[in-house]
Amino acid sequence: MSSTVTRTSTTRTSGAQATTSRGSSRRGLLYVLLVVLTLLFISPLIYMLSTSFKTTADAAATTPQWIPSDPTGQAYDAILNTDGTPVVRWFLNSLAAATLQTLLILVTAAMAGYALARIDFRGKKIVFAVIIATLFIPPVILLIPNYLIVGRLGWLDSLLAVVVPGAAGAFGVFFLRQFFLGLPVELEEAAAIDGATRWRTFLKIILPLSRPALVTLALLSFLTNWNDFLWPVYVLFSPENQTLPAGLSTLQNANAVRYDLLMAGAVIASAPVLLLYLAAQRYVVEGVGRAGLKG
Amino acid sequence: MDLTRRGFLALTAAAGAGAALGGCGSATPVASTGPVLSGAYTGPPVTIQYWNGFTGGDGPAMRQLVDDFNASQDLITVRMNVVQWAQYYQRVIAAVHAGKGPDVGAMHVEQLATQAARQTITPIEEVVTEIGLDETQYPADVWEAGMYNGSRYGIPFDVHSLGSYANNALLERAGITAQATTGDELEEQLAAMVEAGLEAPPFWMPNRWPSHLMFLSLLWQFGGEPYAEDGSAATFDSDAGVQALTWMASQVDKGFSPPNVAPDSQYTAFKNNEVAYTWDGIWQINDLQATELDWSLAPVPTIGTEPAVWANSHQLVMFKSRQPDDNKLMAGKAFVQFLTENSAAWAAAGMIPARSDARETPEFRDSPQAAVAEAIPSMRFLPTVAAVGEVQAQTLETAVGEAILGIADPAAALAEQAERATALMVGNLRKFER
Amino acid sequence: MSETGLRTATGAGAAAGDADQVKAEPRAPSTAGNNNRDGWLFMAPYLVLFGVFVILPTLFGLWISLHDYDYTLAEKPFVGLDNFTGLLSGDSPFATPFWDGMQATAIFTLGSVPLLLVLPLLVAMAMNLKFRGRNFFRAMYFAPYVLGVAVIAVLWRYLLDTNIGLVNHYLDLVGLSAVTPWLTQLPWAWISLIGVTIWWTLGFNTVIYLAALQDISPELYEAAKMDGATAMQRFTNVTLPGLRPVLLFVTSVTIIASVNMFGQAYLMTQGGPGQETRTAIYQIAETGLTSFNSGVASAMSLIFSVFLSAVSLAVFFLFRERTPNRSKQTALTNQKGGAA
Repeated sequence: MSSTVTRTSTTRTSGAQATTSRGSSRRGLLYVLLVVLTLLFISPLIYMLSTSFKTTADAAATTPQWIPSDPTGQAYDAILNTDGTPVVRWFLNSLAAATLQTLLILVTAAMAGYALARIDFRGKKIVFAVIIATLFIPPVILLIPNYLIVGRLGWLDSLLAVVVPGAAGAFGVFFLRQFFLGLPVELEEAAAIDGATRWRTFLKIILPLSRPALVTLALLSFLTNWNDFLWPVYVLFSPENQTLPAGLSTLQNANAVRYDLLMAGAVIASAPVLLLYLAAQRYVVEGVGRAGLKG
Repeated sequence: MDLTRRGFLALTAAAGAGAALGGCGSATPVASTGPVLSGAYTGPPVTIQYWNGFTGGDGPAMRQLVDDFNASQDLITVRMNVVQWAQYYQRVIAAVHAGKGPDVGAMHVEQLATQAARQTITPIEEVVTEIGLDETQYPADVWEAGMYNGSRYGIPFDVHSLGSYANNALLERAGITAQATTGDELEEQLAAMVEAGLEAPPFWMPNRWPSHLMFLSLLWQFGGEPYAEDGSAATFDSDAGVQALTWMASQVDKGFSPPNVAPDSQYTAFKNNEVAYTWDGIWQINDLQATELDWSLAPVPTIGTEPAVWANSHQLVMFKSRQPDDNKLMAGKAFVQFLTENSAAWAAAGMIPARSDARETPEFRDSPQAAVAEAIPSMRFLPTVAAVGEVQAQTLETAVGEAILGIADPAAALAEQAERATALMVGNLRKFER
Repeated sequence: MSETGLRTATGAGAAAGDADQVKAEPRAPSTAGNNNRDGWLFMAPYLVLFGVFVILPTLFGLWISLHDYDYTLAEKPFVGLDNFTGLLSGDSPFATPFWDGMQATAIFTLGSVPLLLVLPLLVAMAMNLKFRGRNFFRAMYFAPYVLGVAVIAVLWRYLLDTNIGLVNHYLDLVGLSAVTPWLTQLPWAWISLIGVTIWWTLGFNTVIYLAALQDISPELYEAAKMDGATAMQRFTNVTLPGLRPVLLFVTSVTIIASVNMFGQAYLMTQGGPGQETRTAIYQIAETGLTSFNSGVASAMSLIFSVFLSAVSLAVFFLFRERTPNRSKQTALTNQKGGAA
């Protein structure tokens, strides 16, 4: 596919299909359809928010209420003040884990991607082939051995377990390599002629040019880590060390029928992501679209 | 500097291997109960971790005990971590082997064998004498149940069993004044209640928790045993088992229970004043007392040929550690001692204290579970076989669920799962005897 | 949906698309020796991670699968291929639950993938029409995807509750059954799992389809219209080929995500009723980490991977570049000035 880097798909104003004049009633129908779909997607989230402000009895009532008849913050109070469900800790753990892993991925993948794209070193083909090959290894194969390795390292039940192993995936390297390949070679050649070292070229020229790709990778990595479920459920056990998804699971197990609590927990787990999403949705959505086109 | 490719690859591999296999600390947890504890704890201030699975109505009572202990002295702080029982046993094994295990714990008696075999709990024979206990203070079955392979691993804390809960108001509508004590009586009463036009079926049959406990009770009542004492075979597919499971499944056919009861909903419906009878653990007592329901608790009726009921016992244990800390061990023992001495207060959780003198107090005699305590002689425990809980979760529970859901015929389901269970148990025996 | 999906799909794309890459790797003016040093130094940080957490566990996993491996016990005797033969022949007590798990995975994949390929396309086509506010709607449909499986599952467990759930309440209002056991009985449990997954991830595929659709030059459609093509013909001859670049990606990502389903079953149905909705991944994790039978579980994961590879290869062949047609299409596209 194309190697133009800066194109954004939203600059296209024309749709693919030309519409005729009977398009206005058609358009009305279209809007109705789209709005119905939107309701379908958003209303459960609204109900989640609403339930988080209900009393326990109201949350379990057989007649659902969209607006709580007796709005109260008791669910949030209970969650935030119970020893066994330290939601604030969970939030901070998730934040730390996602941020650290994203940074780790960005650093290692950028350097490795650049080497694979631009540096001609002995053994490069083999290394690249091995890395690509691992893209085909289903993660379940690594689940148990990595658990045991992480255990031997003494990292179980700690932040390291949810930061480091996940950064070894090959996607970031591949993604950035593709991107670097698309950058014009002349810039680096010019820098080399000026006497700049590889490292300076990388740091001062390549990286600044790569901001869109880096931002996309950062957002995707952050999101992936934030929402990771299977791995944290098994490697984190103490309540204080869990991340939000694992903690939500604990919350559900401990309070199977207290839906007010569960919804409050779900709101706390999703609010930051949704806010980030609303602020950066263009980047996220377009990044995903771009990744799809380039993949 | 000209690093060859091979050189670099070798370096990376070595670094990786070294990092992975090096690790830190001893790989295997070490058994120890520390120096002798005589009198109160006098070491430096210390915090110990106490894990248990009391997520239900029993939780607040345990939390109260912990708070009382922390308030009664300033040197030891106990931090309690509650993990739902279903995950607790695996979590605590993983944690201990990861070097992040707790110091003291509560666990069910049939799990002691498994936990001991998996190197997580420590033999505590000396602790019994150190904290001043002896077997005369406990019923024989309960005391013996804490042993595995000739060593003591648990100190009995309580006994708890299934009981039969009834909604007095709903029973009255059919003219019933006392709970049934035999299978025939129960059947008559249920039929009468259906006749009287109750809105919901009177006796909901769960297909998940606690259906396998009901099955075990009935299996024993019909004269069967779930497992061989030596752990070499599963025997729950005997005639007794088929009779037991058929009786349970028939409650749906007779219209006494709706089909496909969702998990926990039989209990929720009882709590919501909809259902007349439900069998559940005595640990639900506190939860029910918090409602306005008019309920009563009695021993489960004898459906089979002899009275029997599934029972379990919470035992206090101490955990192994990769790096035993004398102060924490001493503090742990002090905490265990406190719990055993205050076990009468545990009756507030709806439990039956294991200590005989704790059951002779007026407070206990007045409690709802005193009615069930009369059935102590007919209480039956699972044999102490390692990993029997895991095997049961993968086999017996499946068979019971499938038969009640109508997916499989009781005899066939039991036979299939018993065969699997036996294979697993034989494998486990081999594994744990190494 | 996760990084894993993106990873493997990218791999498929890599192998397919690499042929297109202009292999103009620049010769740096520095010496080969410097290149070697720089190359390896730049690779080093990643290679350490890669070595310890990808290569090592792959080899370790193979090794474990040849042993009766329980990390809580001191001895882990070598058993050769017994773990594998036991599973494949059905003799092992772990065989039935494993194959049941594979079946559950197959059911879920077959149920969810076609819908996840077609429905997002329909939505994307609707969104590709000319109207205002496209970005807003796009943002709304994509929103559930940014929430993790934990939030989604906990929320929908509540909405699908038989007695107090919103779904049954509304079904009751329109006259349908009020007590459908969405999470506790088959086939409802599968319908729920598939439905929730679609709700959750539809936005992701929609966005990718939309990006591809918007890349198709409008002149192509006009030309087709002038040639008298019907809507269906326009779809088959302009839209579908225009989507080819992303079809492989979307299909791979969707299949991989479905095959790896774990969170929804774990949180919504707990693998129930009984163990009917326990997927292969769930079974492997339970066997290897909850029941400590890591050797058997490693063997299970290898057998699972073989199946997954077979499926991936099939998909790959389905979407491989059939060169003659494609170059014609590319020529056409380039001619019309659309970007490739």
